[in-house]
Amino acid sequence: MIRLTVAALAVLALAACQQPAAAPEKAEAPAPAAAPGAMPMAGQAAPAFTLVDAEGAPRSLADYRGKVVVLEWTNEGCPYVKKHYSGAMQALQREAVEDGVVWLSVISSAPGTQGYVTGDDARGWKARTGANSTHLLLDPTGQVGKLYGARTTPDMRIIDREGRLVYVGGIDDKPTTDTADLQGATNFVRRALDDLASGNPMRTAFATPYGCSVKYAETAET
Amino acid sequence: MRRLLFRFLILTGLLLAPAMAWAQAGPQRSERIEAELVAMSRWAAPGSTAVVAIRQDIQPGWHTYWRNPGDSGGATTLNWTLPTGVRAGEIVWPLPERQRLQGLVNYGYEGKVYLPVPVEIPADARPGSTLPLSVKALFLVCSAEMCVPDELTLNMDLPIREGAAPRDSAHGAAIARVLEQAPRPAGITARATLDNGVLTLTATGGPLAGKDPGAGYFFPYAAGTIDHAAAQTGSWGPNGLTLVLGAGGKVLAGGLTGPVSGVLATSEGAFEITAEPGPVLPGATGSGDLAALPDAAPAAQAPGTGWAVFAQAMAFALLGGLILNLMPCVFPILAMKAAALAASAHNARRSRMDGLAFLAGVLVTFLVLAGVLLGLRAAGEAIGWGFQLQSPPVTAGLAVLMLAVALNLSGVFHVGAGLQGAGSGPLARLPGGIGAFFTGALAVIVAAPCTAPFMAFALGAALLMPWPMALAVFLMLGLGLALPYVLVSLSPRLLARLPRPGAWMERLKGLLAFPMYGAALWLAWVFSRQTGADALGLLFVAGLLAAAGLWLVGAGQGQQALGRRGVIHATAGLVLLVLAGGALTLAVRAPVEAAADPSGPGAAAWSAPAVEAALAQGRPVLVNFTADWCVTCKINERTALGAPGVKRAMEQTNAVYLVGDWTRRDDAITAELQRRGRSGVPLYLLYRPGQAEPEVLPQLLTEGVVVEALTRR
Repeated sequence: MIRLTVAALAVLALAACQQPAAAPEKAEAPAPAAAPGAMPMAGQAAPAFTLVDAEGAPRSLADYRGKVVVLEWTNEGCPYVKKHYSGAMQALQREAVEDGVVWLSVISSAPGTQGYVTGDDARGWKARTGANSTHLLLDPTGQVGKLYGARTTPDMRIIDREGRLVYVGGIDDKPTTDTADLQGATNFVRRALDDLASGNPMRTAFATPYGCSVKYAETAET
Repeated sequence: MRRLLFRFLILTGLLLAPAMAWAQAGPQRSERIEAELVAMSRWAAPGSTAVVAIRQDIQPGWHTYWRNPGDSGGATTLNWTLPTGVRAGEIVWPLPERQRLQGLVNYGYEGKVYLPVPVEIPADARPGSTLPLSVKALFLVCSAEMCVPDELTLNMDLPIREGAAPRDSAHGAAIARVLEQAPRPAGITARATLDNGVLTLTATGGPLAGKDPGAGYFFPYAAGTIDHAAAQTGSWGPNGLTLVLGAGGKVLAGGLTGPVSGVLATSEGAFEITAEPGPVLPGATGSGDLAALPDAAPAAQAPGTGWAVFAQAMAFALLGGLILNLMPCVFPILAMKAAALAASAHNARRSRMDGLAFLAGVLVTFLVLAGVLLGLRAAGEAIGWGFQLQSPPVTAGLAVLMLAVALNLSGVFHVGAGLQGAGSGPLARLPGGIGAFFTGALAVIVAAPCTAPFMAFALGAALLMPWPMALAVFLMLGLGLALPYVLVSLSPRLLARLPRPGAWMERLKGLLAFPMYGAALWLAWVFSRQTGADALGLLFVAGLLAAAGLWLVGAGQGQQALGRRGVIHATAGLVLLVLAGGALTLAVRAPVEAAADPSGPGAAAWSAPAVEAALAQGRPVLVNFTADWCVTCKINERTALGAPGVKRAMEQTNAVYLVGDWTRRDDAITAELQRRGRSGVPLYLLYRPGQAEPEVLPQLLTEGVVVEALTRR
């Protein structure tokens, strides 16, 4: 009897041994993996990441600790992005970079989708768009986009010198594709950078992002 | 002078209108969309409100948007150019479809859609004339791959005539149908309640009162109100319905600052509601679950994934049930079953019957528990697996029952002695397999609160399935739990290897009594945590009386075995047992003391804001969802979480340790477990700063696993 029980337990234990490590993850995987994930909000620590830029150099968020960092999700084919790249975005980028801000434009478009660039195309992106950002970062797997819960292009994040998110969301309060709407719109990024520079509390820490969907890779429903 | 001006305007209007109409009337096209301005009626009367509509015919694969586009895109906008005195109102938006793409959800339209717009016709419009209406429509047309803003200028001439107008033959009926079905206010009262990032919407009255609304979905007017991509679950009650929504970015960032307006879509129609912030409305839950409103997006693959998940859940349930046998919770029951197996090993027929009766007991109990669980959840109760041990009366009753089983194994009294002479078996030896059946039932009641690896996924998935599928998953779990015993009892060759019954069996039974005493003590401890020291005292009195009563009954049985009647013993025993029942009732009714602080050194109570606060400080957070009645949880806490290595690692990484105690019912914890696809404890989450989603640690922890997880970056 005892021998039998011990034997039965041993067999079950063997079966069970492999479980704890592998199984729970497998079981938990489907839910979070597919969605762009929860959006880390202002006040939370900015998730760390490393991406390769258009020139092929790896860039980590950690490299810019002590500086204000702007993340901008972009896709040059998106009409909402085109509206801002009619001059307003480039001007804002230039102002920010002159003030010592690190401006990282991120492309999370998957291969084969709109906005995806590699090689010469990526290197030519700056000249083509007239962008004044510090670096163009390539995120073809969409991992960093999902880490930040980026949903649209444009979608903006501002990270303070301590590595905390201080602004999350849309670039301004006119969710249209019409260039004329740039006049009179409140640009939340400019406002937040001003607040940071002057040491005032953020007037706006979140605005609903608007624009085209980020062209993430088709996620296999595992 | 004014008349002169008016005449001049009419004149220019008359001159210009035909020219414009000539140039641009009729459908306009881009590669992606055809649009046209059409009227519902053949003409409009002066002083009336006419209805015109923007007709869209969208190419397959493309869509345009509702007033709140959802996660991306933009609403169709109209810019009117109208004759003096004519005023165009707002678009009457038809109920949108939900378009899912890569984890985003958009609200919009595909195929053919009409956007009706009411147009006020001035009273001085001259019958016989036509009014030139012109609108610059900006459609943001998107596919999964790209978005294109298509601006089309649409024109039409609206004839003015006196009298009621017949419907336009081409579009009148379609526009009228859209108007009829369009969401509108319906006297519904609604409240929005924000709690822990969950937005609960209750809506009562009007068309919602007194009937099953079928499905339910809330489309908010403002972006950032809800998490568009999150599933909306809900239930309904006598007065209306409740929907549980993930809060959107704006609400998460700034709280619930004002009323939440939008469209509540049900199977009974769609209604415009405005929910004021406030406590949930009564009578909005308790009668059943709301079905999910189907996406308009091609649902072809949905049943396929449904079956795949079902099959996976069934497989995991079987495996989880098997592994459940190894979890510490089941240990005492293992002892009972082992004793029974040993006794019947050399009677193949009896052991086969016992095995099957045990299986039946397990399955029936699983079915009953699952039924109660699903029923209560359908009634809107936020409960999870293991709920039965969250109730102090159940814990107290089980503690005394365990004591009785242990005394039985110790040979203090016998069950069924009167029928079988000096019957020597424990509870599991009741005649006709009834004992085996109840052993199975007991195994499930005591063991079920623990979840084993694999089980968590199966249970989590089961609770989201239609009830017949959910019950099937629970049955599979039971089958897994019972399988080892059933296989042994059905296999004569295995049974033959057991030693012959003899004195060793009595010794084994005596030994196996001790796990049962342990189980009784453990349940008493759980009971004390749920209630307080006074109640525990009363439970001890009940236990003492029950033990004395059972001893007397056993003495009576001894007298009978000697041929005497033993009535006095039996009667006295029964009186004591009744007194024990009385003490038990008192114990259960004893006032509940305030909850104790969460156990564990440096532990703070779990809450979603606490997690966020710690993460904002850049500290990792280890969350332990536990319950006193979950033995696996307690063992993990002693051996892994309380180990010195873990403490060191927590200090090194400056980690915050939060405990979510589910010993008593806690709806916030139930909701969090559910969000992680779980329906029971234990659940261990490790949040690292800079990562959106926490890592889920295994359900069986070791010191090494925790230290490794804490120190890994």
